[in-house]
Order: sequence, then C-alpha cells, then structure tokens
Amino acid sequence: MPKNLFVDPNEVRQAGKVVFNDIPVNQYNKTIKEELKSGKYTKEDLIRIFRDMTVLREFETMLNLIKTQGSYNGIDHTYPGPAHLSTGQEAACVGQAYLLDENDFAFGSHRSHSEILAKALSTIQKMSDEQLMEVMENFLEGKCLRATEKLGECKDVKELAIRFILYGTLSEIFARETGFHMGMGGSMHAFFLPFGIYPNNAIVGGSGTISTGAALYKKINDKKGIVVCNVGDAAMARGPVWEALNFSAMDQYKTLWESHNDGMPILYNIFNNSYGMGDQTRGETMGQDRMSRIASGVSPTQFHAETVDGFNPLAVIEAMERKLELLRNGQGPVMLETITYRFSGHSVSDQNAYRTKEEIDTWKECDPLVTYPAKLVEAGVLTEDEVNAILKETSDRMTMICKAAADPEISPYCDFNKDPAVVERLMFSNEKVEKFDNREPEYLVPKEEAEAYKKIKSKVRNSVDENGKPVSKMKMFNLRDALSEVIYDRFYEDPTLIAYGEDCRDWGGAFAVYRGMMDALPHSRIFNSPLAEGAIVGTAVGYALSGGRALVELMYADFIGCAGDEIFNQMSKWQAMSAGILKMPVVLRVSVGSKYGAQHSQDWTALCAHIPGLKVCFPATPWEAKGLMESALKGTDPVVFFESQRIYDVGEQFHEGGVPEERYEIEFGDVNKVRDGKDVTIITIGAALYRAMDAAKQLSEKYGMEADVINLHSLVPLDYEKIVESVRKTGRVVLVSDACARGSFLNDVAKNITELCFDDLDAPPVVIGARNWITPPFEFDEFFFPQASWILDAINEKIVPLPNYVVQNGCTETEALRRAKQGV
Amino acid sequence: MANAVIMPKAGITVESCIIGTWEKKVGDEVNVEDVLFTYETDKASFECESTAQGTLLEIFFEDGDEVPCLVNVCAIGTKGEDCSALRPDAANDTVEEAPQEKPEAPVVNIAETTAVQGSATAISPRAKKLAERAGIDASLATPTGPNGRIIERDVREIMNNATAKAVVQDAVPAKAVEVAEEYEDIKFSGIRRAISESMHKSLSTIAQLTHNTSFDASAILAYRKQLKAIGGDYAGITLGDIVLYAVSRTLLNHPDLNANMLDNNTIRRFKHVNLGVAVDTPRGLMVPTIFHADEMSLLEISKATKELAAQCREGNISPDKLSGGTFTVSNLGSLGVESFTPVINPPQTGILGVCNIVDKVRKGADGEIELYSAMGLSLTYDHRAVDGSPAARFQKELGENLENFTVLLAL
Repeated sequence: MPKNLFVDPNEVRQAGKVVFNDIPVNQYNKTIKEELKSGKYTKEDLIRIFRDMTVLREFETMLNLIKTQGSYNGIDHTYPGPAHLSTGQEAACVGQAYLLDENDFAFGSHRSHSEILAKALSTIQKMSDEQLMEVMENFLEGKCLRATEKLGECKDVKELAIRFILYGTLSEIFARETGFHMGMGGSMHAFFLPFGIYPNNAIVGGSGTISTGAALYKKINDKKGIVVCNVGDAAMARGPVWEALNFSAMDQYKTLWESHNDGMPILYNIFNNSYGMGDQTRGETMGQDRMSRIASGVSPTQFHAETVDGFNPLAVIEAMERKLELLRNGQGPVMLETITYRFSGHSVSDQNAYRTKEEIDTWKECDPLVTYPAKLVEAGVLTEDEVNAILKETSDRMTMICKAAADPEISPYCDFNKDPAVVERLMFSNEKVEKFDNREPEYLVPKEEAEAYKKIKSKVRNSVDENGKPVSKMKMFNLRDALSEVIYDRFYEDPTLIAYGEDCRDWGGAFAVYRGMMDALPHSRIFNSPLAEGAIVGTAVGYALSGGRALVELMYADFIGCAGDEIFNQMSKWQAMSAGILKMPVVLRVSVGSKYGAQHSQDWTALCAHIPGLKVCFPATPWEAKGLMESALKGTDPVVFFESQRIYDVGEQFHEGGVPEERYEIEFGDVNKVRDGKDVTIITIGAALYRAMDAAKQLSEKYGMEADVINLHSLVPLDYEKIVESVRKTGRVVLVSDACARGSFLNDVAKNITELCFDDLDAPPVVIGARNWITPPFEFDEFFFPQASWILDAINEKIVPLPNYVVQNGCTETEALRRAKQGV
Repeated sequence: MANAVIMPKAGITVESCIIGTWEKKVGDEVNVEDVLFTYETDKASFECESTAQGTLLEIFFEDGDEVPCLVNVCAIGTKGEDCSALRPDAANDTVEEAPQEKPEAPVVNIAETTAVQGSATAISPRAKKLAERAGIDASLATPTGPNGRIIERDVREIMNNATAKAVVQDAVPAKAVEVAEEYEDIKFSGIRRAISESMHKSLSTIAQLTHNTSFDASAILAYRKQLKAIGGDYAGITLGDIVLYAVSRTLLNHPDLNANMLDNNTIRRFKHVNLGVAVDTPRGLMVPTIFHADEMSLLEISKATKELAAQCREGNISPDKLSGGTFTVSNLGSLGVESFTPVINPPQTGILGVCNIVDKVRKGADGEIELYSAMGLSLTYDHRAVDGSPAARFQKELGENLENFTVLLAL
C-alpha cells in the first residue's frame, strides 16, 4: 500500500496479453571429450565426481541393508528409525554441490542423505587442510573428531574429513551421542553448519520457507554465498512452499527497498523423481507437467527456470553454473527442476505397488553409477580396474564407518538413565544477546529524531497524574506505546533485527504498534509481507537460525492455524533437534481480537503453551508489555507474544510510579501480583485482568472480601512460587481468561495448584473461560467472554456463598455436566 | 557435605525417644563423641554423642520433642553449608503433635449448643487441616460452603466460640495473673508419661485386688544380723533382698502368679522367675528386671538389685533390662508404709508390696501375750488369672518360707 506506487487504472485496465518465455528442458548434450577439451574439468575433477557418487550410493546401500537385513558387510546392527532413501539421485546431488562452497547454504528435503554428503564432499574439496582441521577440532569440542580418529591411520586431512562427515552423519542417524546433534535430529534432520549444510526437514516442503528466510538473512546482512532450497516434486503442492516462492519474488525488493535491493539469493531446486511417497506428481496428483513451469506463475522472471537431466552430473553442473551466475548478479530467485529417479522405495516398507518392475529396470539401464563411469572409461579418463578400485575404496571406507557408528564403545547413546535431563537442557538456550552483529544498525533517521519515538517519550507514563486524576487518553503512555518504545530501542541496537508481517510498515501494524517506524527505518528493517502466515513465520525461523533476530507479526491470533507447521514444528523444535547448535531468536506477535466475530477473536495461548520448545507470554499492562518485549527481544528462544486488542489503549494502573523511563526486563516465568488480599486469589491471563479487578472491587465493597489478583503475563515458563504462596494464604482460587474454557491453559494451572496446595484449599480451584462456542457478534460479548459477574457467581456457587448474593449466570454442576455432554 | 546425627535406637523395642536437653547449640563446634543432647526412652535417659565433627548447623527437634528412632536430629558440617536435604520429612514429624492427644474441653460445650449440624461429610482440605491442628472435631461444624461443604470459616466459627466461652468462664475468677503465680505447669517427662499411661491402663483394664498379710520376721532379722556380722558383701544384703530371694523360690510353686496375661483368654507361664524390682529414682519409678532370679543365690540377688538400682538412678540402664519381668516386688517398708495396694505392672499377674516391720502381739505357746516383729506383705493379683484362694496360698507359703528362711536357703 505504499503511496509512491500509483495504481493506475489506465494501465491495469489496458488490453494486451501475458507473455511467457520458453523454459529450456534437458538441453545439455556435451561429451566427456568435449568437456575435457574445453578445459572446464581436469581428469581428476571428473574422477572425483564419480568418487563422490559412489560414496553417496554406498551410504544408502549400507542403510538399506541395515534396515532390511540388520547387517552390512558382516556388521550386525538394528536401526529402528526412518530411512527415506534416494538411491538413484546421486548424480543430481553431486552435480548440484559441485560448485558450492561453505558459504553457500543448502537446505534439504526429507530424502537428504545424498544432498548432505554431496555438499560436504564438495566443500571438503574446496577448503584448505587448516580450515578443515579447525572445523573438526571446534565442532562439539572435537568429540566427533576424536571418535573419527579411532578409525585408524589416514592418508591426508581430506580423507579424515570425509570419514568425519560420514561418521558424524551416520552416528547421528543411529542416534548416537557422537552424532552431529547427539542423535536428537536423526536421519530426517541431519545437517552440518560449518560446511554450509543446513537442516533437512521431516515435514515435506518444510525447507521452503526456512531457506527463504536464510536467503533474506544473507540479503539483508550482506553475507557471502547463496542459498539452495531442495524440495521434492511432491512438496511443490504444499502451500508454504508456494508462499515461500512468492515471498522471495516480492516486487518491493526492487521497487521500494532503499538498499539490499538485489533479488533474493536463492535457488529453488526441485529434485523431481516423479513420486511423492507413491503418488505420481506428473499424470496423477499434480498438473504442471513440468515442475519448472511453476515459477512462471510467480514472477515475470519465471525464476529463470529450466529443467535439467539429473542423471548426468555434468548437465547439472552446467545448469548450476548458469543459476549461480544469475544469483551472484542479484537476479534471484532462480529455479531448477532436476530430473531424477529413485530406485529405492520411499521407505523400506515400500512394496512398489505404484510402479512396475519394467519401469524401474528401464531407469536402471541409465543409472548414472553405471553410465557415467562407462563414459569415463570410453573417454580414456579411467580404466575398468581404476573404476573397481574406487568402488572398493568406497566400500572399505563405508564398512569401517558403519562398524564404528554401530559400536556402542566408540559411539555411545546418550545415557538417559544417568542423565535424565539430557533433552530438558536442550529445549531452551536462555541466552541474552544484545546484538547479533557489530555493524552500525541501518536507519533513515536517528532514534532521538524519530517523530513517533519522541511522541511516545513525551507521554505521561501512568494512568493517573500526581494529583490522582486520570490522564487523558491522548497523553497517556499505553500498552501499545510500551511495545513500540522497546522495539524502537532494539532496532537501534541490534543491526540484524528486522520486523515484518501483514501491513507492518505504512499502516504501522494493524494495531499501530509500528506507527511511524516507516519514517525512521529502511524497508530492509521493517516491511510488509505477503498475506502468507506460513511464509511469515517460516522465513523468520530461517532468518533466526542463520544468525539474525526476527520480530514477526500475524495480526490476529486466529491466523496461528495458517502457520501451524512453522510455529509448532519449526520454530519450536530446531534448538533441541540441533542439540543446541541452532538458536531461535524469533518473537512472534499475535493479537487476540474482539468485535470481529468467530475467526478474529480467539485466545489460542493453550495451543502454543502445549507445544514443547515455545516460550509464551501475554502481557496485560504497559509495565508488563515493556519488560517482556525487552526480554523477548534480547533472548535467544522463540517467543509467541500474545497481545489483546481490548487493551492496547490502557495506561499503567498497577505498577507503582507507572512505567519506568529506563530499560528493564521481566524474566519469563515471573507473574505479576497486582492486588493484595487475604480472602481469595484471582489468577488471570490477558485482558480478563481488568474484569477480575472489577470483581475484586465488588468483593471488597459489597462482601468485605479482599482478593489477591495475580496476572500470569508469562505462561511458559511459569514459576508457581508466588501462586502457591497466595493460594496457601487464601485457600481459594478462581482462574480467568478469555480462552474457551475447554482445554484452556488455566486448567493446567488449576491442576498444578490442586496438587501443590491440596491441603490448603477451602474449595476446588475454579477455571472461568469463554464458552465453548464460536464467538458471537460483539453485541453479545457479555454472554460469551468472562465478566466480573461470572467471577462473583463462581465464588458464590463453588467457593464460598456471598451474603445476600443473587446469582446472575447459572454455573451449577448439572449445567456443567450437560454442556460437557453436548460438547458445547 | 553435612552429616546428620540420628536419634539412636536405644533398645530393640524402642520406637521413639524424647529429647531431654540440648548440650550444644546451633553454631557450636563439635567433635566426635561430644555430648550433643540427652534423650529419654519411656524408661531411661541417655546421652547422645556426636558421630560427626564440625559445626552444628541445624537442630531439627527441640527439648521435649519426641523423635522416632533413626530419624535425623541435627546436622553437622561446614559453616554456611546447606543442610536442608537432611531435614527429616515432615511426615515423620513429632508424634507429640498427634491431634487426638489434645482435645480441648470447651469444644464439647459448643457441641451441646450447636443446634443444626450438617449431614455433610464433605469438608474442604483446608478446613480439615485447620480442625486437626486445633484439635477440633470438624463434624460438629455447621457447614456453610457450597453443597453443604464444611469450609474454613465454619471451623473458625467453632474456634472463636470456644475462645469466647473460655473468656466468659475465665472472667469470673478474673485475677488470672495472681493465680498464675501460685502454680507451675510441668510437662511430664517421658518416664512420667510412661508411668502415667501404664498405671492408668493397669487400673482401668485389670481386675486387681489386694490381700494384706504379715509374717513373723524374727528369723530373717536374726539372719540379717548374722550377715552384718560377717561383713563384706554379705553385710549389704538387706531384708528386701531376703524377701526377693524367698519370692523367687516360692513363685515356682504358683505358676499363675509368675505369668503374663497375653490377652483375655491366654496366660503365659514362665519357667523361670524374672523379678521386677521397683526402684525410686529422681525421674520417677523404674522397674529393672533380675532375670532368672530363681537360679541366683541370695548374695547374687542382692548384688544384682544394687547394681540395677544404681543404673536406674544414673539413668544409664539398658532399656532391655527394663522389661521382661514375670512378677514385681515393690518395697515401701523403709518408708514406714504398713500396708498398701501396689498396682500391677501389666501384663504381669501379680505384684508384692513389702511393708514395714511393726511390733505385734500374739498368744505365745505358754498362753502369755508376747510381742514379735511382724512384716506386712501386700499382694495385688489379677483376678482374671488368679483366684483369691490360690493367691492367699502363695502369700501364706511365702510367709512360712520367710519365717523359716534358713530352711529355704538349704533347699
């Protein structure tokens, strides 16, 4: 919605036609001799390409035998985990990796062993011995290297590095402590950052958004190298992958960005083996015919897409050469469809019910592991004996590696008996990082001169003035200002901090938290994203795990569902799955709505709190908002930051002296005691705090009862100390939030209180939530969301009868049972 | 690392002990074998020596607390060290606080005035805990919670009424301060409490009655004179020892008195006589046992009695020597008691009270009135186990044996 982009009816209504460029398909046709003659490859290069292909093939042959027969070359081992093999796709992987180095990030599909190993072998070839030794010595304090050294004498550092990468990958797959991630990632989540090998993903197409975020990181922070996003053909049907393509192709990089306005440095590579699991993407479950066609629907550049024969490594290398040149010239994103085929089943339980033996045999006739060395022999590059010698060397090495990875002496499992907290420690990194880069943060206007910032600073930081009179709304520092102030401060400290989401820039965020920031900060720091929640969160995950800090927004909490995988599987899990190697400094702002009906009014804290690995908070006062945002934007853990549209305008009513000018952090886990009383404890989440305070007032004035009111501004983690202290004192507790009562997070709190304070309870803890309905129109709010009267009713009916109290809304047991039975 | 000192197990049957006084206080430096505190079983008092060296970090129980054996009593370690892990589990807390032991009298009065009682058994955990702490029968509360549940305020209501009532009652004598100066409340020691319980149980559960007889003590007085003249250990043999000896021999002919009542239907007869001897100590009555007295000479019995009495007075007797008696002898003769009703030490079936010697008159062989020295014997027996005649027969035989003591010695 930028004003400088004029939407001209004369132009958009003009007659014409949309024109597409031709998409090259399998155009490579050079012979080995021609390639040698052109000087592009030495004989050694061509031989190494073959060697690398054998290493990949042998690795998966070994895994297949271990899975199906429990034995490989005399080594017996049982491995219960997944093995999604890609036997047959080696030439495609080696060809892709051939020109990449450690600065290029490659993200994997979930059929990634060959992708990972090919990238590693290529990187090893390009790094010096000193660099390699440094990497291996420093990785996990040399734990992996020490285990590799036990394999015996080694002719040189490169061979040691090959053994290292094979051993680290295999012991990761075998769930050993000596694996690259202590076995916590396993087959579908293996990676090795020092060689530019980034996570592959058990969620099909999961890398789509994450790799795009990594490219965004490289683009904004001027980092070397490009990003390769590997996905399979079937993954192209997934929404988040489309969202990622669109995100990477946004016009604004060229039309609006003041700097970093090159195209996105990313290659979307589709390894097209014609099948998902057993579904056939061409002819059955999809309709693009050629996958390379897809980008034509995303950008006029058509991502410079082409289809290349992935059974010929040299064809892939040549195509990669073209793509890399485009990317290095700032003409990304680009796309490659790499035709390949997997001889192996999707998994070892695959009965090949969906294809004929004849089809497989026909493909085997052009198996690159047969055809490529034959061409080398024909061209006089290799003799038959030399081919066999390479195969033997590869087989011997693999046998040695497998033996070591299967040996519990060399490759022990994590000892969960001795150390039951082994995973517990990996869940959060709990670090504080002032800034992720030392360069000067980019801005358009210094902070002190930013109009919006100055305005915030000029406000009265309390809800009442010195004389106790209410401060006028316009002059009052409210919850929105509290968030805004911290975000401004952090923008000018951490140069990697970026903020985006729907309508963040010109609009200032749907609820004006970013108001005025467009005048102070360039597009590369705060921009409007496409309406693509999966891409918003997924790119933030990629941005953060690459080394930056991302603050993203989903507008309404109801849109969490649109980014389900990205929040619940990606943002939450990568720290632990990487055994702590990756950090996830992502703050995801979501706002609980009101007035906008059933799909725009839901408090989904419970969904987020349920997922291990996410920190969840929900400030309800300006003081809480400022302290928690400060803490979230300095931390290294993923935070789902809930806000409520009902209370963006509230001033600070509880914290003595209002909201401090100076910076402060509220630790996650803390709770905020806003009122002291001895007779009943009221625990709140979110905007329900204000209705609870109303109830507390009535209790005091009409019934002589004083309530302790505690707001849980942090849900995960949560320190129960003050809660227990209060309930032990009062013996009575009501818990209130706007989340639907069934499955509300407060049920969990109530359960814990019951356990921790059972003998001190004078009545069962009572949880009050919204009805288990759709949210009706705003006019009927009081029938759906908890009100002060609901709290009084609950106290009267379930905790302690209030003198002369007239119940306003029935909350009898019979009624509760009836509703539960009906599911409403 | 801090070390705990445990409450020792002072005998096989001892389950818990009461802390007497702490000799050390928190912060003191202690060495191994330093006395930390004294403690009592229901029968004896001991000193607990430190088993660790270092600073006394924390004391988990105070003077007068009852502590289960083998439970941590205090922690010794390096100054400033955290010893919270050594604190005994709250569940093992002092038995002394067991609620049923301290019902408060006024509650009963309230109960009478409580007109409406809830049918409810429902009570909130908090109300229940409060009632238990205050020693109040919560079922007497008028429930005012939802669904007829007794909640905290209902128990507090009882407590407040009880206090109010107490205040009203106290208001009449009024001069509470002056009254207070005229008495002193002394908490029973462990021994006192054990005696109290044992005596009360004895009199409330046993069908006991006493026969008073006397015998001519001339023979034993003469014999005692002889012994004194010999000197040495023999000079220490007392009239009491002589009675013990006679009892140890006579009892064998009266097995129902050398016995324990196991329950209302069973009596256990013993093949030997294990004589309980009542000993007066500063802490109260103690009854050590002379095991197999029937096999001991008079001198041996005399020595054993002195030794046990000394141990009792010094408080270092093993608890195992304070039980196992089959019959008890209590001697109040030296204090001028002419006859009394000794109380049976359950589960024994009899106890003999030895009284003083008085001059009595009788008709002599020549028909003249003559004076003689008569010693009183008061036998209390359990009528459930022994009838009056057999008890009298024992008493008669005992008297005859004492009158012909030298003959008894010869047997």
